Amino acid sequence: MTTGEESAGAAEQAEARVHTMALIVGRFPHACRAAVLVVFALAIGATYNALNPLGIRWTRSPDGRIGIPRAFEQRLHEIAAPEALKALEAGDAIFVDSRDEKDYRKDHIPDAVNIPMRQWAELEADATKRLPRDAKLVLYCYGGACGLSTRMGKRLLELNYQHPIVLRRGWAEWTEAGYPTAQKPRRKPK
Amino acid sequence: MRGIRQLFVNRVFLRIAGLMIGGVLIYASLDKILHPDRFADVVHEYGMLPLLAVNSFALAMPWVEMTTGIVLIIGVWRRAAGLLAAALSAAFMIAISQAQLRGLQIECGCFTVSGMSATEASWSLFGRDALLLLGSVLIWRRG
Repeated sequence: MTTGEESAGAAEQAEARVHTMALIVGRFPHACRAAVLVVFALAIGATYNALNPLGIRWTRSPDGRIGIPRAFEQRLHEIAAPEALKALEAGDAIFVDSRDEKDYRKDHIPDAVNIPMRQWAELEADATKRLPRDAKLVLYCYGGACGLSTRMGKRLLELNYQHPIVLRRGWAEWTEAGYPTAQKPRRKPK
Repeated sequence: MRGIRQLFVNRVFLRIAGLMIGGVLIYASLDKILHPDRFADVVHEYGMLPLLAVNSFALAMPWVEMTTGIVLIIGVWRRAAGLLAAALSAAFMIAISQAQLRGLQIECGCFTVSGMSATEASWSLFGRDALLLLGSVLIWRRG
């Protein structure tokens, strides 16, 4: 095939593509306009997120967490239960139970204070009075992804707290490890 | 019945519906845009998306809401915006109903993600979204 034939073929293909596009736009004009609006919205959103100090990554933070502002990735640390136990034994941290009050009443980590994250809006003023800004705060919730304590950590960082730390798998990990609780203070680790 | 049908194709009615739905969508998007991390937490709690998609959805969805709202209010490409609003409403209804059916007690994330004491996802919100869907479909189909 000569160069002239090749370019003619390419032109035909391009024309066919344009024709197909025109058919789609003609057949589904509102859907096509809606797609344009979505692309526009994504462009604006991406620009805003890049400029927003509390912007987040599009997938997840380097340590695998989601919903963590880029500015907090290096400041909101996570620890596992053994490390938290050391902090408890050393007495150099305040433990904050972010679960609901009824669950805190059943049992909790010894000396932990209860600030239910689901009522944060009402409790924030009191919480900031009770928790010193320069203290090491070990935050825990039920378990799993520990969304409540991570939320609390982010909020505390916004309020200029220096050392909020999230207990990674929270109460679930603590009790699975057999660590002491308010109800069973003498229970030893497995 | 015929009166209702006539109302649904009435230009003034559709314009007012567009203004109202547009206003709701813009208002609903504001807090999510300001606090994408908190909205990502809410999206995560619904448990519908793979983890890798949660942040992307939390970043994109509020801007689609905002853009749709603005276009509905301006009145240009209103039918396209109606289609988008219908898609958003349907997505909200699916999210709320699956949360209810699974017994999840989670924050709705509809208008605010900052309060931490915000409205819980519930069947009444499902009904509100159904109204939103109805209005949006009318705008999309009838313009």
